[in-house]
This record gives sequence, structure tokens and C-alpha cells, in this order.
Amino acid sequence: MSADPFMRPVADGLAGARAGSPAAEGELLSLRDVTMVFPGVVALDGVGFSLRRGEVHAVCGENGAGKSTLMKVLSGQYQPVSGTVTYKGRQRRFASSLEAQREGIAMIHQELNLVPHLSVAENIYLAREPRRWGFVDGARLARDSQRCLDRLGLALRPDAIVGQLSVAQQQMVEIAKALSLDAEVLIMDEPTSSLTGTETARLFDVIRDLRNAGVGIIYISHRLDELAQIVDRVTVLRDGRYICTERFADTSIDEIVSRMVGRPLQDKFPPRSSVPCGEIVLSVDGLARGTRLGPLSFELRRGEILGFAGLMGAGRTEVARAVFGADPVDAGTVRLGGDVIAIRSPVDAIAQGIAYLSEDRKGLGLAVNMSVAQNITLASMGAVSNRLGFIRPAAEQAAAQRFIAELDIRTPSARQLARLLSGGNQQKVVIAKWLFREPRVIFFDEPTRGIDVGAKFAIYQLMDALAARGIGVVMISSELPEIMGMTDRIAVFHKGRINAVLETRATSQEEVMHFASGSRQALAAHP
Amino acid sequence: MNQHRKDLVQKFAALGSLLVLMIVFSFSSDAFFSVGNGMTVALQVTSIAYLGIGATCVIITGGIDLSVGSILALSGVVAVLAVKAAVPVPLAMSCGLMTGAACGLVNGICIARLRLPPFIATLGMMLVARGLALQITDAKAIGGLGDSFAELGNGALWRVVKVGADGFPDVVFRGVPYPVLVMIVLAIAVSIMLNRTTLGRHIYAVGSNAEAARLSGVNVARVTMFVYVLSGALAGLTGCVLMSRLVTAQPSEGVMYELDAIAAAVIGGTSLAGGTGSISGTGIGAFVIGILRNGLNMAGVSSFIQQIIIGLVILLTVWVDRLRNRR
Repeated sequence: MSADPFMRPVADGLAGARAGSPAAEGELLSLRDVTMVFPGVVALDGVGFSLRRGEVHAVCGENGAGKSTLMKVLSGQYQPVSGTVTYKGRQRRFASSLEAQREGIAMIHQELNLVPHLSVAENIYLAREPRRWGFVDGARLARDSQRCLDRLGLALRPDAIVGQLSVAQQQMVEIAKALSLDAEVLIMDEPTSSLTGTETARLFDVIRDLRNAGVGIIYISHRLDELAQIVDRVTVLRDGRYICTERFADTSIDEIVSRMVGRPLQDKFPPRSSVPCGEIVLSVDGLARGTRLGPLSFELRRGEILGFAGLMGAGRTEVARAVFGADPVDAGTVRLGGDVIAIRSPVDAIAQGIAYLSEDRKGLGLAVNMSVAQNITLASMGAVSNRLGFIRPAAEQAAAQRFIAELDIRTPSARQLARLLSGGNQQKVVIAKWLFREPRVIFFDEPTRGIDVGAKFAIYQLMDALAARGIGVVMISSELPEIMGMTDRIAVFHKGRINAVLETRATSQEEVMHFASGSRQALAAHP
Repeated sequence: MNQHRKDLVQKFAALGSLLVLMIVFSFSSDAFFSVGNGMTVALQVTSIAYLGIGATCVIITGGIDLSVGSILALSGVVAVLAVKAAVPVPLAMSCGLMTGAACGLVNGICIARLRLPPFIATLGMMLVARGLALQITDAKAIGGLGDSFAELGNGALWRVVKVGADGFPDVVFRGVPYPVLVMIVLAIAVSIMLNRTTLGRHIYAVGSNAEAARLSGVNVARVTMFVYVLSGALAGLTGCVLMSRLVTAQPSEGVMYELDAIAAAVIGGTSLAGGTGSISGTGIGAFVIGILRNGLNMAGVSSFIQQIIIGLVILLTVWVDRLRNRR
């Protein structure tokens, strides 16, 4: 890191600021030694970053590397514990994102921040409505927002209600909103995640226009292949630390990935210790709901990890929830260990030994205001209470301690509120809740979403250990490498059906993608 | 700071303000700090406390019950009508209690099965129950109920009466009124239920994250029904005790009591967002309201000014709670 080309401009910039002269090299926004701490996690550890006028600067890193936190510091949503933010040559401390926005730093969020009941125009100018004699100037509102939409080449009416638009259209409205701010710094967090190819191309045109107009653009995307089209420089973060900044032309995607991961790629997954035996633990036959889901069938063997791959909305989560009794189904039989079982609600599924780890951990998995111990025992109250329903505190405490030790949950005590834990530890708490029930089948829905690299590895190890104990594991994931690295077989979903079931060892990412996009024929040859 | 210690600080903060109130009032009036007045305050607090205990359970699940004031009127009236129809007093009171529970069950069905928002469901019940109470009594008070009906509301345990030298009875110790005893028993029982049983744990889980609770195998509908039935039954009990104290059926009794109950819970640290709250906190909250009323009365403050002060106290305590939770 000593030969880092990036550290110099920052140092120069700071020296310049001290001397009262403008910052070097058209530097627009920079961070130095920024540290951000949340209860139980150091999200950013002495990170530096610099953005120049008229450049597109990509920030890369795995989930949990600190990208989103960094963006939130840059856009004024978080105030760092230590370190400095320098904007246009002056050291700044933005009190809120609104203040940063007023100064020309706009952010397009990954999760959309639109008001669904208002129109496109009203959303674009929310809280900045053009006024005339104290009333909203409707004509100007429509005119100005139309201009923003035209700039993006969008065929959208300003009076369309945002809630009725597609996610891609909403994303474009979000971008139009940022444009309307006349921002000098534009932060884009996964802007293309729900856009089609043409929409993405149009967005890139807009980004190039903005760059040529001198706007500094920070671009975050998991689609590394996109970067080549627009990016000038790239900064890599890993585990909350700054790794490097390089000109994109001087590096390669492979190099970026290896910097992101920080170790050889084959170490990303633990070796599988179990071999699935032939005995079928769960079989689902003819499961269907309406026209959106199924009919589909699959089988899960003891000790097997079965992957559910597919695009967003292909029905993977829906199948898991249906088998678990969380949503009703129109047809289908579920056999557990050969016996047909009737599941009308999660209560039934849990009683039969089926567990489901939701993809939306905070929304659906965790009672965030309850303690770690209370979360762990929530699905197994019978095991820690007597026949009259009185909880035995000693039993509860013992169970909590056992899982805290077994899963290495980092918490000051079993009494700690679940919301104060880091994402990875929260996920372990949810897993502990299900392990305590000693299930026969577990559905893991996006088990590693939003958690850091180390915790990911621990969760993979845990899944492997569960399979080794003879539990049937289903792993739903949108990250293909993790599906390839962890599973025995892969069920590929397309439009609510299972399009193919592949042996993991005999397939490739390309083939999985091929089936996920709806093709019915196998690839001619594997690379 | 450790969460447990934080809770303790909060409790002591509420308790502290209670003590401050008592000290202030004992200076402003000599009669305030006496065993007799203590019992009077406790007796006045009982209604708020019964309803507050129910309200706490409901609010912990993230709901609200606006109907308890009306339910208590209907239940009390039903009990009195039963007595008038020559039903033995204990049975008549059970009828009142069951009426309250039935109203609560209707609330629970509307909320858990028909998926109406709690605010709307109980607002409807508030009007229906009040209307029923007024209809079946022709909006008239019913009196002439006899001593046995008055016993629950006016009797006391450990009452010490000496016959004086002049042959007239002389009350040495007024005793602990039955309503106060019932309050203590209820508070302990519900507190144990909330903290020590699986049902209580499920109540907190539903309020903390209903969908997570459902996916963990908690029967959310049943838990929701339970808290509204409990709240209704406690309102029924309140009605019986109140009417017994007055020895008349008053179909217009209990207007706005639901708000006192909610205020007691909120002052005691129960969050309207659900998931947090305790019976001990609500008890303190009920006493804060009761002592404010009693002390201000003794100091000769008009009831209008009392309302203003209690309103401000609610705002202040909730604001302090917000400050404490902000990070």
C-alpha cells in the first residue's frame, strides 16, 4: 500500500486546504481516515477516498465491505466517529443528508426512496415544490419535471402515480430526481440492478453526459462487467478497510475481484464433509398457486444441500414459504420422510420439523426488540417451559448459552437486544432459533445477504455441518458462486417453475444462467 | 450501557417522579400524607389500574383498545340488571365479567380474523357497547340494589372497629378495600403471565415483529384474541366494581376511561409501537395520575386545571422516554 497512487492526492489536498488554496487535481470530495462504528461492528476502519470533477469512480467490495456505509458518510446520513470529509476544498461535517443535498451531493438509493401515492412530478420535487403565492405551482412542476424526464429519454408522464410504475421505471424516476438537484456529486448505489439492457444503455449515456459536464459520479455495482463501459477509477474496500484505488485502464476485473475477496477464490467455501445418502427426506409434488407458481415438484435427500437458483421473482422464495405454510397453496402434496403431511400454517410445518430462514432477516426473521436468548427460544418455547406454560429461566439461559458458544455468536450477553448485533450475528441468532428445534429440513433463503465475509464463511460451515448431521438443506441464493460452491444439486427456477435440476459437479455458472433465463435445452459443451 | 440497567433507570425515573409528587403534595396539604388518604388514592386508582393492565397487554402487541370505557358501563349495567332479576350477586357479577369478555372477543375477532385495524374495531365497539348500555337502561340510573351488591366495592379486609365507651362504633383502621386487594392480585398475576409464561413471551413477540413471530410458529391470531378478551374482561370487572361502589347502575359511567388507561400505560414506559411495556410501569403510571388528581383536589385546584396538568405530564414523560431511547 506504500506505492499507492491514491494517498498522494489526498495528502496534497489536505495540505492545500490548510494553506487555504484550492484542492489539487480538481478534487471535489474526499474522505480521510474515516472510521464508523456500530454496536458490535467497525463498519469503516480508517478509510480514505477521493473523487475528482468529471470522473466516474467505482467503489467495489463484497457485501458488508462498507460500501453503503461509506456512501452514507459521503452523503451526510452518517457522521463518522473520526476522520474528515473535505468537499470543494473545505473540511465539512454535514449534519444530515438534506444539508449535503443542498450543497450538491445527491444519492440514488438502492432501496427506492419514493412516495408511492404521489405522482412522478411530485416525487421529483418533493419538499422542493416550485411555489407561487405560497401554493404549489402545478404548471411549473409539470414543465420542470418533464424536462428532467426528457433528459433521460423517458416516456413517462409527470402525472403518473409512482406506485403504479414498474420497479425499473421507479428507478429511473429516482435518477431523474437526483438530476433535478443539479448535483455536483452523484452517488449511485446499484442503479442498474432492476434495469433492462436498453434502459441501462440509456443510463450510461446520461452518466457520460453528466461526467462531461463536470459532475463527479460515484458508482456502486455488483455487475463488475458493466464497469468497463463507464468507469474511470475504482476503489476497493474489504471488511471495512481501504484496499486500493486504481485507474480502471490499469487494472482488470480479475484483479479487482481478488482484491475484494482478499484471498484465493477457492478458499471462499469450506470443503463439503457430507455425502448425501439416497434416502429422500422431503418430496414436494405438484405444488401450485394460481398461474404464478408451479406446478412444480422436487425431492430433497438426507444430508443434501439443494440449491434454488433463478432470477429475482422466479418463485424460489415463494416455494419455500408455501412448503413452510407461510402462504396458502392451491395444490400439491408434501411428503416428509415418506409420509404425506398437511401444512396449513407455520405452526404445522415447525411441528413436523421444517424450518425456514427468511431472506428478510430484520423484517421477518428476528424480533429485533427482544433479547438474543428470547429470539433463540422463540420457536421452541415448549422446550424451556413446564407443562403449565411457565418459562424455566435456567433452561432458557442454558439453551441460549449453548448456541452462543456453538455458533460463536458475538454478543456481550444473552440479554443483549437482537437489534444491537451485527448482521452476521443476527443471522446466527436466527439459525440458532431453528437449530434448537432440531429440524429435519431447513430452507436457507439468501442466508448470507448483507453480512460480512468472515461471517459468510461461518454460515457456509454451519450449513455443511447441518447436512453432515443428516438434515436436508435447501439453499436459496441469488449469488451463483455460492450456489456453485455449496450445493450438491441445483434446481433452476424460471417463471414460477423448476426449469432444470442439475448436478452441481457436472454443471457451470453459464449453464445455470442459461436455464434461469428460460432456455429448455442444455448447453452444447461445458467450458 | 447495558439494556437491563437502562430499564431500571427508567423505572426509577418514573418512580422518582412519583415520590416527588408525594413530597410536594404532603407539603401543600397536611391531610395528604396519611394512611386514610393513601387508601383513598389507592381506591381511586383501581379503575385506571384494572383498565391499564388490560391496555398494557393490548399495547404490547402493537394494538389499542378504545372500547373499555363503554364496555365497563355495559358490563356494570348487565350485572345490575341481573341482580334486579333476582340472580345471586356473585353470579350476576360473573355475568358482567362475561359480558366484558364477550365484547373483547368480538374486538379480537374483528382484529385477528377480519383484519380490521385495532383503532377502528375498538372504536366501533366503543359506540356499540355504549349504545347498548344506554338502550337497555333507557339511559336511566338504576338504584336500590341492597348491601350484598355494595360489598365488593365498599368492603374492606382487616377492618378494625372498636365499640367506643359511648356505645357507638369507632373505626380504628379502615382496612384494605377489596378493590385494592383485587388490583394487587391482578397486577401480580398478569405480571407473572407476561414475564414468566410462554403466552407472555408470545405477546411481546407479536408486538416486536408479528410476521417473525408467525414464521416462528406463534399463533398470532390466538395471542391477539387473548389480549383483547383479557382487556374486555378486565373492563367488565371494572364495571362491576365501580357500580358496586356507587350501588347504582350508571350507563353513562366510564366515559374517557380508556384514555386514562392508555395514559397510565404510556407514562409507565409502554411504547405504542408495541413490543415493550410492563405492568409495574403501568402501576406507577396509574398512581402518578391518581396522586396528581388527589393532590391537586386537596390543594383546591379546579378540575379543568387538573386536566391541563395531566395532559402536560403525559407529554413530558413520553418526551423523556424518547430522549432516553434516542441514540
